[in-house]
Amino acid sequence: MLEVIEAILFSTLDYAPALIFAALGAVLSERAGVVNIGVEGMMRIGAFAAAVAALVLPTGIAAGAGMLAGAALASIHAYLSIRWRSDQVISGMALNLVALAGITFLLETRFSPSGTPAILQLQRWRLGSLAAVPVLRVLSGHSVMTYLALVIPILFHGLLFRTPAGLRLRAVGEKPIAAATLGISVAIVRYAAVIGGGLLAGLGGAVLSISTLDRFEQHMPAGLGFIALAAMVFGRWTPLGAFGAAAFFAGGNALRIGLASSAPQVLQIVPQGFLLALPYLLTLLVLTAQGTKSRAPAALGVPFETESR
Amino acid sequence: MRRRQGTSALAFLWRQSLPSLLSIALALLVCFLAIALSKSDFAVAADAYLQMLWGGLGDLPTFFATGNWALLTRAWGESATKAALLTFTGLAVSVPFCVGLFNIGAQGQLTVGAIVAAVIGAKLRAPPEVHPVLAVVGAAVAGALYALLPAVLKLRRGVHEVISTIMLNWVAVSLVENWLVVGPLRATASGDLSRSGTDEILQTAELPRILGSLSRLNAGFVLALVATLGVWFWLKRTSHGFEARAVGLGMEAALTAGIDVRERVYRAMALAGALAGTAGAVWVLGTEYKFPATVGAPYGFDGIAISLIGQNHPFGVCAAALFFGVLRAGGTRMQLLGVHKSFPELIQGLALLFVAGRLVWERFLGSAAKPRAAPIETTHA
Repeated sequence: MLEVIEAILFSTLDYAPALIFAALGAVLSERAGVVNIGVEGMMRIGAFAAAVAALVLPTGIAAGAGMLAGAALASIHAYLSIRWRSDQVISGMALNLVALAGITFLLETRFSPSGTPAILQLQRWRLGSLAAVPVLRVLSGHSVMTYLALVIPILFHGLLFRTPAGLRLRAVGEKPIAAATLGISVAIVRYAAVIGGGLLAGLGGAVLSISTLDRFEQHMPAGLGFIALAAMVFGRWTPLGAFGAAAFFAGGNALRIGLASSAPQVLQIVPQGFLLALPYLLTLLVLTAQGTKSRAPAALGVPFETESR
Repeated sequence: MRRRQGTSALAFLWRQSLPSLLSIALALLVCFLAIALSKSDFAVAADAYLQMLWGGLGDLPTFFATGNWALLTRAWGESATKAALLTFTGLAVSVPFCVGLFNIGAQGQLTVGAIVAAVIGAKLRAPPEVHPVLAVVGAAVAGALYALLPAVLKLRRGVHEVISTIMLNWVAVSLVENWLVVGPLRATASGDLSRSGTDEILQTAELPRILGSLSRLNAGFVLALVATLGVWFWLKRTSHGFEARAVGLGMEAALTAGIDVRERVYRAMALAGALAGTAGAVWVLGTEYKFPATVGAPYGFDGIAISLIGQNHPFGVCAAALFFGVLRAGGTRMQLLGVHKSFPELIQGLALLFVAGRLVWERFLGSAAKPRAAPIETTHA
C-alpha cells in the first residue's frame, strides 16, 4: 500500500510543475488586471521552443528559450490589451489559436507531424540522504523544476503580499485609478505582469517537453493551460492557493493514471471521464458557492484609460 | 453605428467590413511568407495557395479543360460542409455577444449536441422524413440546456461566463469522450473488428445529400443558411431582438427601460447553445455518421474567430464561415506540397488576432475608418 501511495506522490511531483508554473503565470497576469486566457498557447510555444532549443543547446538553457517564447507571445497580448485596449479575452483566444495552428505548421515543416526528435532530458537529482526515509524519499529523483515549483510559489506569495512591489501590482489590478494617482504607471506594471506571466507559462510548457518528457509532442499541452486557469480560480487568485490547487489537480491526475494501471476495477465504478472532469466541476462548484463574493481582482479585464479618471 | 448622411449602403458596408477584410488579407500575406520562408521558395508558396484555392472552389483549370462538373461539385460540397459547421458555431458565439456575454463554450455545447444526435440517430427508429429532424432537435435542445447553465450561474451567482464556459467545455469533453464514448455508448464490436466511437447512425437519420452522388453537400448547409437568416431577422427585425441588443449595449439602461434582462440573456444563451448543438448534429448526421473517438477539430473555438471576423453580424458570420470553409476544404490539397492541412487554421487564427488589434489598423487608416470603441466589453461581474 505504501508503495502505491509513494508511486502516486512521485508522479504527482513529476507532473505538477508544469501546471504550477502555468497557474502562477496566470495569477501574475490577472492580479494586475489583465485576463490571461492565452496560457494554453504560451505553454505550447514554450514547450516547442524549449524542445527545439534543446536539440542544439544544453537542456537547462533550453528552458530559458521556452520562457522567452512564452514571454514573446505574452508581449503581443500585453501590447494589444494595454496599449490598444483590445478585448483581453479575444486577444488571448486568438493567441491560443495561432499557437495551436502555427506550432503544428512549424512542427510539420521542420520535424515530423508527431513530434520533435528526442533530446537529453533535464537531469534528475538524487537526494542521497532522503532515499532511505519512507514517504519522504519520493522527493528524490526529480528534475530541478520540481524543486523550483515547490519554492517559487512561496517566494511569489511573499512578493505579492509582503513587498511594496506586490502591493503596487495588486493595486493596479484592484483599483488602477487609485494606483495611478499615487504615481504608479498602470501600463508599466501591467506590461511587467503580463510578460512575467508569459515567462512562467512558457516555463510550464518547457517543463512538459524537457523534464516530464524528452520531446515536444503534437498535442502538448493538451488543455493543461485551461486546467491552470481552473487552478488559478480555485486558488482564489493567490500564488499559494493556485499552487495548492495545481498540486491537488496534479495529484488527482496521478491517482487516475495509477488506478488505471494498478486497480482498473475501481475505474469500472468511477469512470475515468468523471475523474478528468473533476477539476473543472470542482472549480465551478467553488465559484458557485462563492457567488458574488468572488476573489477575482476588481479591475480584471477592464482596460485602463488615463483620460477616464 | 449609424449610417452617415450622404453615404450609400454599399459604402457603409465597405467601411464596416474593411477591418476584417484587411485582417484577412494581412493574415494571408503573413502565412504566404511563412510558407515561402520555410520552403525557401516563393513559387512553392504561390503553388500552395493555388492548390488551396482549387481545393476549396474546385479545380477550375481542369474543369475548363475537361468540362467535368464533378470536379467542382465535390469541392463545393466539402467547402459548404465545413462552412455550415463554422456558421453554426460562429452564430453561437455572436448571439451571446449581442447581450454582452462571451460564449467560449460552443465546443462543449457542440460536443453535447453531437453525442445526443449520435444516440438518437443510432437507437431510435423513425421514418427518414422525421428521423434527422428528431436528431437535430434533440441535439439543439441538449446544447441549449448546456448553454443555459453558465447563463444561470452568471445571473444568479455572479460567476463570470468566460470561466464557466471554459470549465463546461472540458466537463463535456471529459464526460462524453472519456466516459460515454468509451463506456456505455461504445460501438458494439462486430466480429473481430473493434471500432472506435459510438454505433453508426441508421441510414434513416442521415442528412439528405442535396446533389445526390455528385457531392457530399448535405442539408446541413441549407440549415446553416436558414439559421443565419433566422438569427438576422430575430436580432434586427423583431422587438425581442432589439431588446436583446439593448441589453448588450447597456444592461443598466435596459433595466431602466423595463426590459427583462434576465429573460433576454437566457434566451440568447439558449439560442446559442441550440446553434452549437445543431452544429454537432450536422457534423454527426452529415459527415461522420457516428460520434468518433474524439471531436478532434476545435470547431467551437473556431466559432470565436468566425464570429469576430464577421463583426458579430449574422451575415458577416456567414460570409466569414464561407470564406474559411473554402480555405479549410482546400487545406487538404496543400498537403500535397508538404504543408499541413491545418494551415488554414493558422490563417484564421492570425486574422482573429489582427481583428483583435483592429485599433492599430484604424490608426493607420485615418479617416477611412474612425477609431471606435471595441464593440464588446467583457464586464467582470
